[in-house]
Amino acid sequence: MSRDRGPLRAFLGDHAVPLLVAAVFLLPLLWMVTASLREPGLPPPRTVEWLPLAPAPGNYAEVFELLPFGRYLLNSLAVVLLAVPLTVVTASMAGFAMALVERRSRVALVVLSVALLMVPLTATWLTRFLLFSWIGLTDTLLALVVPALAGSSPLFVLIYFWAFRRVRPEVFEMAHLDGAGAFTAWWRVGLPAVMPASVAVAVLTFILYWSDFISPLLYLRDQELYTLPLGLRQLQQLDPTGWPLLMAGAVMLTLPAVLFFLLVQHLFLGERGLGRR
Amino acid sequence: MSRFSLSWRAGLWAMLLPYLVGTLLLIGLPALISGVLAFTTYDALTPPVFVGFANFRLLAADPIVTTAISNSLVFIVLAVPLRILGALALAMLLFRPRRGAGGYRAAAYLPTVIPDVAFALIWLWIFNPLFGPVNVALGALGLPQPGWLADAETARYPFVIMSVFQIGEGFVVLLAALRGLPRAYFDAGAVDGAGRWALFRYLTLPLMLPWLALLTFRDIILSFQWTFTPSFVMTGGDPYYATMFIPLVIYEEAFDRFRFGTGSALMLVTFLLSVALIAAIYLLFRRRGYVADV
Repeated sequence: MSRDRGPLRAFLGDHAVPLLVAAVFLLPLLWMVTASLREPGLPPPRTVEWLPLAPAPGNYAEVFELLPFGRYLLNSLAVVLLAVPLTVVTASMAGFAMALVERRSRVALVVLSVALLMVPLTATWLTRFLLFSWIGLTDTLLALVVPALAGSSPLFVLIYFWAFRRVRPEVFEMAHLDGAGAFTAWWRVGLPAVMPASVAVAVLTFILYWSDFISPLLYLRDQELYTLPLGLRQLQQLDPTGWPLLMAGAVMLTLPAVLFFLLVQHLFLGERGLGRR
Repeated sequence: MSRFSLSWRAGLWAMLLPYLVGTLLLIGLPALISGVLAFTTYDALTPPVFVGFANFRLLAADPIVTTAISNSLVFIVLAVPLRILGALALAMLLFRPRRGAGGYRAAAYLPTVIPDVAFALIWLWIFNPLFGPVNVALGALGLPQPGWLADAETARYPFVIMSVFQIGEGFVVLLAALRGLPRAYFDAGAVDGAGRWALFRYLTLPLMLPWLALLTFRDIILSFQWTFTPSFVMTGGDPYYATMFIPLVIYEEAFDRFRFGTGSALMLVTFLLSVALIAAIYLLFRRRGYVADV
């Protein structure tokens, strides 16, 4: 044992603080999972339960019996299946064009995009609702997907802009000299050169639409159209203190977002981050 | 750029069109129209009627509205500095490459990807006054157990605490900013015998200030809106309106009572408040010569 103390001490000296910080940030997730596996009807916990002692995975199935979660899941899937490819196309087109227009327009477009990032969506709630009901989009899943026509978020356009700026401009000039139009250059030369950015934007878009609670809350009345976040809210209204079931629902909503994020986290957080030249 | 043909450049602008037109229609125009509706009475059934500043007088006379405004401001004053300093601390702790660094960074980012409704429900459980892990742990340690969300005195703190867990975006931005700092300055500083604190105080902090300022401004604006889902899901504004925040009032005005005029007016007030807060912070720092180059 004493032989190991040197390296162990060195390890703790290096890693104690980051380990502790990581543990704190993982606590909400751990407690969610633990509570979701608790047998319903047991007396409430008297001590902090770190791990489920007698896991009750049946909670997950019961959520589907209480509410049409299968239906909500399909609706959520329909939304992300439409929104993700659309966003990748519109955001990459805009980012590509932004990277290649002349300098004055480029600066103006970057400034505009950063300014748009600052606009709180609260400011658009009421009039977007009025606009959508005017053109008959309320109570359709399309109302949730519409922002994808415009790249979903200026952030995604900026991510593509940075990615395309890192491609050597001669590559596009060559394509142009070969007679390719701007669209062809974007599709044939541009997109293949920025695959990591596309993966990153696709995952961020997935998380954005998968998690979206406010749009369906504002634009959907018909329960047949509810997406998972609204379903989880409905579950809470059904039984506000049924913690095991509520947490099981929360885990199901959270898991896809967490898994997709973990698949691509190195693109944002690794040593060669996306925003780096 | 004349080496590109006219049709090529026209193609580029055509590719920008969906983004520019869509953003104008979905963000620009709605925000503007909202600014106009603020001076009308409108229930979405009969045409809007111009009423001048009547909506603002109604808002000022409504104790729920004034409570919500002060709650939102208190939340921002407590949460924004914690969130920005938290993101900076995380970035400084984890930006250097080392074994396991990727895992630590991913762990710190993870709460940010939890969907809002799920996130609110998790914290509703964590701060449950009787059975939640926080109070059970406090009880086991023999410490007092606050009522948290059930008690008007303490209800705001869970909101602040949970908001500090979702700082992934600021963390990523500061991570990239720290990596972009010129190493030579720090080597020179170290040669001159500067300690870690001095390096932070006189090099890192001033060099990072433009980023910190930008993040602070964005955080102030987004914090007004961030409170919506937690307050809607966790408390509905209770107890005694202690967790009534501006976006919840806007939602209830417009979508429960169909008062789009007062809802829009409150939005305009929120916008002006954010601008005032940001201007105040900008002037405060500029007088100290910090953010001259933002």
